[in-house]
Amino acid sequence: MKTNVNPGQVTPWHQTNWDWRAAGNFIGGGTGTGLLFFATLAAGNADAYRIMALVALAFVGAGLTCVWLEIGKPFRAINVFFHPQTSWMTREGMVAVPLFACGLAAVWFGGGIFVGMAALLGIVFLYCQGRILQASKGIPAWREPKIVPLILATGFVEGAGLAAVLTALLPGSGPRWLAGVLLGALILRRIAWTLYFRAVDKSGLPKKAMAVLRPFGAKFDMLGQLLPEITLVMGIFYGAVLPGLTFAAGLVAAATGWWLKYTIVARAAYNQGYALPVLPVRGQGEVRPGVKPGWTK
Amino acid sequence: MARYVMTVDLRRCIGCQTCTAACRHANATPPGVQWRKVLDIESGEYPDVRRSFVPVGCMHCADPPCMHVCPSTATYQRADGLVGIDYDICIGCGYCAVACPYQARYIVHRREYAYGDRPTAQEEARFDPQRMSVAMKCTFCSDRVDLAKEKGLTPGVDPEVTPACVNSCIAGVLAFGDREDPNSNVSQLLAENQFFRMHEELGTDPGMYYIFDKK
Amino acid sequence: MSAAVKSVRKVPQYCYQCVAGPDLLTVKVEDGVATEVEPNFSACEVHPGAGKCCVKAYGIIQKTYSPNRLLQPMKRTNPKKGREEDPGFVPISWDEAFEIVGAKLRETRARGVLNEHGYPRMAASFGGGGIPTYYMGTFPAFLSAWGPVDFSYGSGQGVSCTHSEHLYGELWHRAFTVCPDTPHCNYVLSFGGNIEASGGVVGAWRHGKARERGLKRIQFEPHLSVTGAASAEWVPIRPKTDAAFLFALVHALVCEMPREKLDVFFLKHHTGSPYLIGPNGFYLRDPATKKPLLWDLKRNAAVPFDTPDTDPALDGTFTLDALELGADEDRWVHQGIAAETAFGKLAAQMRPYTPEWAEKVCDVREGTVRRIAAEWVEQAQVGATMEVDGEILPYRPVAIQFGRTVNNGWGAYECCWARTLLACLVGGLEVPGGTLGTTVRLNRPATTRQASVKINPDGFMHYPMNPTDKATWAARPKVRNAHDVMVPLSANSPWSTALGPTHFSWMFQKESPENWPRVTPPDVWFCYRTNPSISFWDTQELSRRLAEFPFIVAFAYHRDETNHMADVLLPESTDIESTQLIRIGGSKFIEQFWDHEGFALRQPAVQPAGQTRDFTDIATELAAQAGLLDKYNEAINRGAAGVPLSSQRWDFRLDPGVKHPAATIWNHACRAASAELTDGAETDGLDWFKQHGLRTRPISRLSWYLFPELRRKNIRFEMPFQERLERVGIELGRRLHEHDIHWWDVQLGEYGGLPKVHDFPGIWEKETVKQAGADALEKYPFWLITSRSMQYSWGSNVGVQLMDETSGNVRGSRGVLINRRRAGELGIAEGDLVEVSSYVGTTRGPAVLAEGIRADTLLMMGQFDHWATPYAKDLKKPSMNSLIPMSMALTDATGSSADIVRVGVRKAGGAH
Repeated sequence: MKTNVNPGQVTPWHQTNWDWRAAGNFIGGGTGTGLLFFATLAAGNADAYRIMALVALAFVGAGLTCVWLEIGKPFRAINVFFHPQTSWMTREGMVAVPLFACGLAAVWFGGGIFVGMAALLGIVFLYCQGRILQASKGIPAWREPKIVPLILATGFVEGAGLAAVLTALLPGSGPRWLAGVLLGALILRRIAWTLYFRAVDKSGLPKKAMAVLRPFGAKFDMLGQLLPEITLVMGIFYGAVLPGLTFAAGLVAAATGWWLKYTIVARAAYNQGYALPVLPVRGQGEVRPGVKPGWTK
Repeated sequence: MARYVMTVDLRRCIGCQTCTAACRHANATPPGVQWRKVLDIESGEYPDVRRSFVPVGCMHCADPPCMHVCPSTATYQRADGLVGIDYDICIGCGYCAVACPYQARYIVHRREYAYGDRPTAQEEARFDPQRMSVAMKCTFCSDRVDLAKEKGLTPGVDPEVTPACVNSCIAGVLAFGDREDPNSNVSQLLAENQFFRMHEELGTDPGMYYIFDKK
Repeated sequence: MSAAVKSVRKVPQYCYQCVAGPDLLTVKVEDGVATEVEPNFSACEVHPGAGKCCVKAYGIIQKTYSPNRLLQPMKRTNPKKGREEDPGFVPISWDEAFEIVGAKLRETRARGVLNEHGYPRMAASFGGGGIPTYYMGTFPAFLSAWGPVDFSYGSGQGVSCTHSEHLYGELWHRAFTVCPDTPHCNYVLSFGGNIEASGGVVGAWRHGKARERGLKRIQFEPHLSVTGAASAEWVPIRPKTDAAFLFALVHALVCEMPREKLDVFFLKHHTGSPYLIGPNGFYLRDPATKKPLLWDLKRNAAVPFDTPDTDPALDGTFTLDALELGADEDRWVHQGIAAETAFGKLAAQMRPYTPEWAEKVCDVREGTVRRIAAEWVEQAQVGATMEVDGEILPYRPVAIQFGRTVNNGWGAYECCWARTLLACLVGGLEVPGGTLGTTVRLNRPATTRQASVKINPDGFMHYPMNPTDKATWAARPKVRNAHDVMVPLSANSPWSTALGPTHFSWMFQKESPENWPRVTPPDVWFCYRTNPSISFWDTQELSRRLAEFPFIVAFAYHRDETNHMADVLLPESTDIESTQLIRIGGSKFIEQFWDHEGFALRQPAVQPAGQTRDFTDIATELAAQAGLLDKYNEAINRGAAGVPLSSQRWDFRLDPGVKHPAATIWNHACRAASAELTDGAETDGLDWFKQHGLRTRPISRLSWYLFPELRRKNIRFEMPFQERLERVGIELGRRLHEHDIHWWDVQLGEYGGLPKVHDFPGIWEKETVKQAGADALEKYPFWLITSRSMQYSWGSNVGVQLMDETSGNVRGSRGVLINRRRAGELGIAEGDLVEVSSYVGTTRGPAVLAEGIRADTLLMMGQFDHWATPYAKDLKKPSMNSLIPMSMALTDATGSSADIVRVGVRKAGGAH
């Protein structure tokens, strides 16, 4: 039986073009670039940096591989570089090349200018990812401009969180202030998320998107924000007694960042749907107020 | 330069889907892929209820978000306002599809047939391998519009160079023509009637004008 | 594209899948493959829908290439028939198929064309509205050559059509179907009419233009249909109470408004309103001439209705001497009797039907009734005129339109009467802008409506009632549904059989009613483009009766639930693979009003699939097999294939003794058609038509209106009083009682001089209680109704994927529509699988929640519970036909009932 993609559907439906693989790109890209940035600061020594940077690049690479697996014509992937004038996807791709080059060079040299350049390019890459979502005008949960600081903030959280995890695992201890940085990043993410959510709540969203985001937000505030924040504060005060607190907070901070992006990219991606600002006159009568089916407002 | 647009007289539309079927024929789209379709939208509460029929598809925006996001430049805009896709360049990333606020784009990854797992003679004859795994959408029947100059015909007036949906419409809902020409059929309609464009607040400057009442 | 296209042709065709056709189109053929359907742009000047074709026409290509088609003849190997039996169809050659069918035909003729009960041994059923005729080539000539054929096994027509409108419409204004003069109309009251879904291209085109112009349409129906959606106002009226609303409108006009608001001149001079009524319910007549009398205010005396220079009294009681002629030989001579006019009787009869009364019955506020009554007279512009082709006619831009369930079954007569009367009250019947008839099928000749207009002795149009007098009443029916015996209004045209109570054929086969001849199945049954096993009522019961038919020949496109019982399947080359010439133009069903008339051709655009054959060639071979070739060819020569092949000025007759190939037959038909249209000047044949597709000539728009013809012939519309119906009813009752038949007594109550509104929904409710017990109405609290969709209506296209796909864009087409609040109370959510039951059966489908439907009503758009038809059987859609009883109690006097039934609904568990 052949069925219309969305037979007769007038309310927004979940877009079907980007699935978990797209979320994977944002997860990999955010975590990888965040980690690349914090590796610069957190690595206790060159070898630790090398490992952290390699993990970071692996994250970014895995994300891009997800995208490559998702596109319809993977062997034309080179065409992604054709449109730097306006396409944030092209820009992301164009940043990815020097990002990997600098990242690998930084790994090779274990320090020097490439470390800083890789970190900087990572931030640019992360910014591109935020703008990719913002430019998706067809997805109301993505196009909200405050998604860009949210993507940046959560990228930093994921990077800092993973840095905290890795420094705990790698030889040579990382800086004690890393927990504070992670806490700061978490606070930034809390602000970014709150501003983002308030913005979409105010401007309106497809009801189904809001039905995903609102309950998610309640849980995220607790598990994604409050839990690692309290853990970190406890770590700052009781770190000597309970050395795993920062490690745990880092893990939770990173994982909930992935959860956040998976939710926004793969679960709240309801499209715009359709709307009539006014209803047509049928023969005679008055123009009536319009309708925007399936929207919160 | 011309800017080709479509007008949709919502007062007339009855949701019969003749344009939907005509488009499926003219553009040989696979089952379920409707570059043109008519929505059936109910609003209000019993007994004060209205039902509106709304033809939708690619709006051929003057400021098309699909084109801006396209990483490969496969999506392009012509001088006459039509937004097209170069199937040879498109990588099928779907970015245009999420950028389009009109849900107008389709990507089909495997062949589907009307009946079972084998194509009918028509489906076989019209199959276009170029369109597999790339973005596709309404073209405003640009292949027809392109014939206009060569044949000395006017899009929107002469059926041979007019989009199939417009030709097919049995209630006189759809019209096509040059918005820049004050004497064109669409300019006349828009001069005489009140209209809106869908999701205009998103800044897409869409090329489908919905007429809802006389002036 | 996969390869460069070598050749491209656009082949003109027509589509006549529904009664609102024909649509004119072209099929694009690329390298021998049909790829695209388009409107026939060259016809835009002559076709009233601008040469466009509706969505159904776009299904033709998938239909042509469907892998589910039957591509060679088949025969049954399992002698047992029934839904559960595998027919065991095996492929056979055409020679063998013709041998089997031919032998049966010869054997049947040898036994006599009528059986021992007097019924035709051969029966045939075709899809509704006569539309299969436009695809069956010369098969009508075969049927004509055969002799008596029983067409009374209905597949929906007769009971599920707009039945009362057909019969009463033809009686009152030669209106087999009725519609507004849309291009000139400003105000339409539409009761359940679904013109935007079932009006075809021309309906959509005319109403679209009218809406833009400002036509106001008010839609009355229990749910918000496509037509309701496109209307200015929706009035959610309680099911089957339309007659009450219409009577309240009549009350408001006749009992509450000053007379001068009405078209008094029209009523006095163009209707029977001033006729004087006797105490026994018949016209008072001039004893000398027997002409009905009216009271002339100029002479202050009673004069015959056709006396020149009169001013007839519309109201009042007058004293006179007169003769009153009743049923049979009843007659009364009155001296100095006080008599009222028909209009006065009307006013008295309408007095109780106040808007306040209607509010209780219809669930529509009385203020709405009075507002609409006021709008009706205001918009009618009484006194206005319009010139049409040099003739000045009244211009009354108001009309009333009905849909199925309103104009068939109990209550439909009253609706049709009130509609015709409301038009007359403002002089808006058969005039520009007003309420018009479209075509005739019962009156003859059927060439034009005007041609069938003849005056009767009482000053009204003659109507060919089946006789009810003692001398000529047919006590034994000629066909199994007994339309000729039971329904005088069904007349005796080739269409009449299908316009009787076609469920009787099926019902009586199981059990004949008291004192009624036994009904036995036909020896041979042909069926084409019809599927009564799905489209009739109580489909399970019908399938059981069908299984009793001894020999069924099905002209088959694919397997279906009816040809599941067939003995032989004959696959014909379908729409765009075969040849046929049809007549177009003039005025036809629904809203087909042309300014031209002529012919259009259907032709092979592609090679016929498999071994399928042109229907004309099949018909020719069947005629030869039956030994009827001469008669068959002679029937074609007379015009049985749509055009007489000779006249005084040309002669293209076929040699009767020869088996002519289809191309030859249609070449002759084309030449005759060309000659007819050019008065012999042109004789272009098939090749010309293949190239051009159609040939027309202009006609006067005066042919749209009947009023000029009546005015010319000094004929009145028979409104408001129905003396003829009163007489016929009494006579029919006497005849039946003389034969001890009493099971039609309730139906006889429908006949009368002036109708009354009864509790029409109560008829269904009482029957539900009778059949299902005292608590039945609690068990079945909903009314189930249906509504047409443009994608499917009439189309025989349930196996076409494109129709399924496009219909999916229309709300409710795939499930059971239920009021959102009511669904919430029942715990039913969008998409839940629900089970809908009546006392007859059960059907299932997904729930579709909507605001645009009454809380006491459910809607099922299609009838889709197929179990054999490929593709359709996998759709899992519901069908109300499984829930509707075939019932004598639910049959009205015209032999129809309505698509409405009391049901219960419950969540069946699981999503659909």
